[in-house]
Amino acid sequence: MNKATDNHLMEQVRNGNVEKLAILFERYQVMLYNFFLRLTGNRSISEDLVQDVFIRLLKYRSSYQGQNKFIIWLYKIARNTHIDYLRKRKDQVSLSKQWDEAASQEPSPSEKMEQAQEIARINQALAKLPLKKREVLILSRFQHLKYEEIAELFGCHIGTVKVLVHRAIKELGKAYFVLSGGMAS
Amino acid sequence: MKCTQIKERFPDFLIGEIDEITRKEIQEHVTLCDSCREELESLSAIWAKLGVLPEEQPSNKVRRRFYAMLEKYKQTLKQEKSRPHLGKLLDGWLERWALRRPVFQFSFAFLLLVVGLAAGYFLQTSWQRNGEINLLRQEVHQIRQIAAVSLLRQESLSEQLRGIGWSSRVEQPDEATLAALLSTVESETDINLRLDAIDALLLFRDYPMVRQELVQSISEHTSPLVEIALTLARNVNHL
Repeated sequence: MNKATDNHLMEQVRNGNVEKLAILFERYQVMLYNFFLRLTGNRSISEDLVQDVFIRLLKYRSSYQGQNKFIIWLYKIARNTHIDYLRKRKDQVSLSKQWDEAASQEPSPSEKMEQAQEIARINQALAKLPLKKREVLILSRFQHLKYEEIAELFGCHIGTVKVLVHRAIKELGKAYFVLSGGMAS
Repeated sequence: MKCTQIKERFPDFLIGEIDEITRKEIQEHVTLCDSCREELESLSAIWAKLGVLPEEQPSNKVRRRFYAMLEKYKQTLKQEKSRPHLGKLLDGWLERWALRRPVFQFSFAFLLLVVGLAAGYFLQTSWQRNGEINLLRQEVHQIRQIAAVSLLRQESLSEQLRGIGWSSRVEQPDEATLAALLSTVESETDINLRLDAIDALLLFRDYPMVRQELVQSISEHTSPLVEIALTLARNVNHL
């Protein structure tokens, strides 16, 4: 994936060639969908949020500055979209509950029962983490962002990101242990 | 490296953002240090466990909605281009008429000022000719006097005080208003009311009726405060 080309494409979108957004959509829609899915635990909401991100890309296209990495700008918009969604959400359904529902309503037939349970457990443990820790873990583990990029995205020092990752994994481990039937230490 | 320094590098170790030397150093350390080994093992285990989460594909609905949105946006852009903005139209017009040059801008502003002043002058004279404003002024003046007299005749002290207030706002009081004020000075039992009435009468000290009454009434009052106020009023009168 050529990052320079992403920047070039977004610059063209900014300059009025909005057709080029389709290429960026094809490149990043799956990645964004999975980012939101791990954050919200809800497939339908994640699809809506992906749509919202691309609407915002068009809305704020004139504010795009080429010197910034496109991916960082994209994730900034994605994070804001998610935060706005959390603010608007009136019926505060807890994430772990949503994952329970998602797992029971949409089981994948190809997956074995045991693996399905393991996935549900990991998702529920993830949902128990505070938002920032969840974000940092998702971005580093699944979205393959470097710590340096996450630091730029969060507007903090790289050391802070590493500490957050360290703590997030520890907390996740504890939550997973409890969900597996163990006792938290 | 110490345990704390080793542990600080664990996130780098997990993500693979680490040089070969540090990696070896960590590996050597954990073979000797039980606490660090346990921690790294549990972190690695949960990090690896996250790998069971599959990457999912969004439904085709997302793509459909995106292209529909993009198409709609392109249409809006086209419409905006074909229908020039009012601001742009005005801009173009100003450009054509060379009104952007400061000398034209100043002349135009001056012209507008002259037109405004002339319009204001003509409007004012036409209103004065009609005499509507004067008529209104007279009516307001009369209303104030009527209000003052009727309030002064009320039983309530507060109403009478308001009456004195109204009478002091009358520019040219008639006899009825002055008589009402004088009668308050003469016959009212409340000292504060009388003092207020004297204050109001001071405004109209040039009227012969007021001057005469103030002089006459000074000997008839028993209240020292009222007498002092009347004496002061007389002195002001002489100034």
